[in-house]
Amino acid sequence: MPVIPVMIIAAFVLLALAAGRLSPADPYAQSLRARLAPPVWAADGSWAHPLGTDRLGRDLLSRIIFGARVSLTAGVVTVLLAGLVGAAVGLLAGYYRGRIGSLLMRLTDATLALPVILLALVLAVTAGPSFVNVVIAIGAILWARYARVVYGEVLALMERDFIAQARLTGCSDRRIILVHLLPNTLPSLLVLLSLQIGYVIIVEASLSFLGAGIPPPTPAWGSMIAEGRDYVASAWWVSFFPGLAILLVVLAFNLVGDWLRDELDPKLHHL
Amino acid sequence: MRATTALLLLLLTATEATGAAAPPAGELTVALSSFANEVLDPALGGHGVKFYLALMFDYLIGVTPDGRLSPELGIATAWEVSPDHRRWTFTLRRDVHFHNGDPLTSADVRFSILRAIGPRSTTGYAGVLRALLDRIETPAPDRVVIVTREPTLVIPPYLSRALATEGMILPKRYIESVGDDEFARKPIGSGPYRFVEQVTGSHVRLAAVPHHWRIGTPRYQTVTFRVIPEESTRMAMVRRGEVDIADVSRDRVREMEQAGFPVRYRDNDSLLHLWWILPWDRTPVRDRRVREALNLAIDRREIAATIFGGKAEPAAIPFGLTWAFRDVKLTVPDEWRYPFDPARARALLAEAGYRDGFPITIFAYQLPALPEGREMAEALAGYWQKIGVRPTLVPVDYPAFRKQWVDRTAPGAVGYYNLPNRDWIGTYTLLDKFAHTPSRPTDTVADPEIDRMLDAILTTTDRTKINELMRQAFARLRRDHDGIPLVYLHTPYVTSKRISRWDPGSVMLDLNIDGLVAER
Amino acid sequence: MLRFVLARLSQSAITLLLFSVVIFGLARATGDPLTLVLPMVATEEDFANARRYLGLDRPLYAQYVTFVGRAATGDFGTSIRSRRPVVELLRERLPNSLALAAFSMAVSLLIAFPLGVLAAVRRGTALDSGAKVLATLGQSLPTFWVGIVLIEVVAGRLQWLPAGGSGSLAHYILPGFTLGWFVVAGLMRLLRSAMLEVLDAEYVTTARAKGASEVSVVWRHALRNALIPVVTFAGVYFAILVTSAIVVETVFAWPGMGRLAYEAITGRDFPVIQAVVLVTAAIVVTVNFAVDLLYAVIDPRIGLAS
Repeated sequence: MPVIPVMIIAAFVLLALAAGRLSPADPYAQSLRARLAPPVWAADGSWAHPLGTDRLGRDLLSRIIFGARVSLTAGVVTVLLAGLVGAAVGLLAGYYRGRIGSLLMRLTDATLALPVILLALVLAVTAGPSFVNVVIAIGAILWARYARVVYGEVLALMERDFIAQARLTGCSDRRIILVHLLPNTLPSLLVLLSLQIGYVIIVEASLSFLGAGIPPPTPAWGSMIAEGRDYVASAWWVSFFPGLAILLVVLAFNLVGDWLRDELDPKLHHL
Repeated sequence: MRATTALLLLLLTATEATGAAAPPAGELTVALSSFANEVLDPALGGHGVKFYLALMFDYLIGVTPDGRLSPELGIATAWEVSPDHRRWTFTLRRDVHFHNGDPLTSADVRFSILRAIGPRSTTGYAGVLRALLDRIETPAPDRVVIVTREPTLVIPPYLSRALATEGMILPKRYIESVGDDEFARKPIGSGPYRFVEQVTGSHVRLAAVPHHWRIGTPRYQTVTFRVIPEESTRMAMVRRGEVDIADVSRDRVREMEQAGFPVRYRDNDSLLHLWWILPWDRTPVRDRRVREALNLAIDRREIAATIFGGKAEPAAIPFGLTWAFRDVKLTVPDEWRYPFDPARARALLAEAGYRDGFPITIFAYQLPALPEGREMAEALAGYWQKIGVRPTLVPVDYPAFRKQWVDRTAPGAVGYYNLPNRDWIGTYTLLDKFAHTPSRPTDTVADPEIDRMLDAILTTTDRTKINELMRQAFARLRRDHDGIPLVYLHTPYVTSKRISRWDPGSVMLDLNIDGLVAER
Repeated sequence: MLRFVLARLSQSAITLLLFSVVIFGLARATGDPLTLVLPMVATEEDFANARRYLGLDRPLYAQYVTFVGRAATGDFGTSIRSRRPVVELLRERLPNSLALAAFSMAVSLLIAFPLGVLAAVRRGTALDSGAKVLATLGQSLPTFWVGIVLIEVVAGRLQWLPAGGSGSLAHYILPGFTLGWFVVAGLMRLLRSAMLEVLDAEYVTTARAKGASEVSVVWRHALRNALIPVVTFAGVYFAILVTSAIVVETVFAWPGMGRLAYEAITGRDFPVIQAVVLVTAAIVVTVNFAVDLLYAVIDPRIGLAS
């Protein structure tokens, strides 16, 4: 088990849960006069703002701590939503096949062919950027991957004896799907979920760069980097620390996902 | 024959010896964060693309770099108006040719104006001109007469380089033979530079003509305008010497200056003005005390010094554009300047019955030449929070906000724009759009008295009376706090080290590249 | 075989038709393009006039029928912002996008190869984890930030490479690396597991037993066979690169499809939004189709029916 990545994730989850207690200052409190203050170890840094302040003079450390809550929630909620829809579509299409199945899979393939960022951008521009809309926009495209994977698994499972037996003994469709098929697709789903949490966080950051991410003043890591990008040369800390947070978390999730895949489902190597 | 050639040669060497201009050489590169709609046809342009179109075309009326109409810099060398202010007669410059060799005559001028107000046009002032123009006569190749339905003063400025693209003179014969679409792809004008190529999203490249009446022998063989949206990228290109002129955010000016790159400003380039979406009669901002409180809660000096990097100055009058002040002889009294007074703001709110504040929506968006838009909106929310108002930021982009504004679906919410500075006529047009209630969905001021003043100005041709009325209008807008005039913005441009002299001028959305490429 | 190809082709056509409806609707839901085309002072008459001239006042179904009818013949209408035929814009941008994607692909393979082989051969060691972390790094940072840091340092401070725009080979390096690094992880993982699978295969064990050197086993026997999935999936990654370049193209002012799409979306330029999404989707559909076909040809065990 990859100990370090798991510890990193645990640490950030803890930060997110206890953000209110751990954060040294109000992440929303502005002070224009204290804007772009450097971190404590710099020549004119101070303990008032251990990691410095952003362009509106808000405490960076506090924003990163609260940002853990926002970004992790966005990542987890989006993949869960996408996983739920995707699994449902995959199960139904694989179990019923026929016209419904092929229609659902056409829809899945169509969605897979859409450029993620482009469509998320269109959706965000249409509905206006907000936390919920960003989650929906990314989720609206990610579900197709789950559907594809689950569909493939279900097709293989349907050939197996125990499904035929379940059918013979008169199990209802619902029971077969929920009790026999779903649990057997869980390992692949889990692998995909863990790998995609990081991806969602990165996509959200890209949307922020394009002006369609989680909107200000909410502290999301992606939008913090996007806002700080003009200061890479003059006040590096504004984008560096949220960038570091994203790097650690996404890297950790990817490594854990990698490990899970090797353990649970080595066939999924091309995900 | 031989004698003439010899004489010519002699003359040529003689002029060279006396230091006549060297032939055009080298390349001038201008990198900008946005090209607006990147069109090459002036009728499609509006203002946004003036900075490169103005090199390809001549205007009927030229303007000096500081925006005054000039008979030296346009196709019209003289103009006069009949006593009833309805017949404008223009005398045209002779021996001007389009890039394909066709002479420029009064027929081209008439054609250009009619095309600018035609159905294809999306320029800024086409609507006003369309309503105003009766007919255009061309009694001689060098004479044009414009007849209007109403007495007016606006014809020369509207057809000048001071405003949009309506006054650009286009080649009638060429457009009629190749068609509008082909012209829009390969435009031909009479300006000092001719069109070479365009790659949308990348660049527009122009090449010098040998000699031009407006600027003499152009200094650079090619001028290239490049779109570089990302600030860091643009600045790195300046540092590497790939770019001669680039727009720079006010925040990075100091860094570039320290690296030795000259920075030039367009002073008072625009007024950052905020307004409330109407109808406000069911919202707290219908009360002038509330509007005053919202104004007093903002520390304009701090905003100017921090977010705008010191390249801005506090503003005091709604829609108070400084050129208009100059034109109508208005000096802003000191007591009109808003102090930063949160205590008084709280008191005013309490007096108006909002001791516990009220919710208010602020739309937050970036605009061209206003990269600080969202940051400013966030800061504003911070100030208002401190006097007990409960702001919600709604980050959108400008088209989304405009829809809410015009459809009036978010009464009492706040939006903003960096209004380009303009003279009294331009300001009047602006007021007509923003403050004139009848038939204007874009109105932001619910005041019948202001409507009456604006109506009176429209039918007056006596400048003294107009000035008086304009001053009264400004006074009333300020008295009633009809908006939040925030700051005047100075717009910086960084240049390469080889650009020694350049005045970016103050003409709206025009960078006075003329001044850089002109013969010295 | 022919039946398979025909079936897939008709499916692709239906997929694209489905798209055309979705994207037509979505594009129009983004708002009014004229707000950006007309200047601040434009009157409502100006708006009405422009709407009429551009045909935006026609009923939606009529606009849709025109759009699909023309798109079928390769005509995507005229851009509202630049008023040029959309096809011309695509012709300007698509080659740039393909070129950048190809370059990024090369960069990505160059990094992924040694890492993937190393990780597989030294499986379970610190080298393996090191290679994995290094590859995953590229996927764990937003590309715009990587790009901007590279621009500030490599172009702005050191002045080694051009910061933006296109033209020379040097212009490819920074955007190509930024984009390429992002997909290194996927390719490396693919190569590693394919290598692992092959290294355990019988013929490799046989080769080992016959006394072939480890180097020869890895390079001659294993790598050659592990390449098959990599080559096929390189196609998929290429499609990903073409369609996900929007951020990198914006940062590096690269005149490609991604940037065109971004400008079109923020400018509410319906015809261009429709064309870009349809064309990128068509690229993905085509590449997927080609990959499936290639896979079936290379590896007969995979039936065409699936």
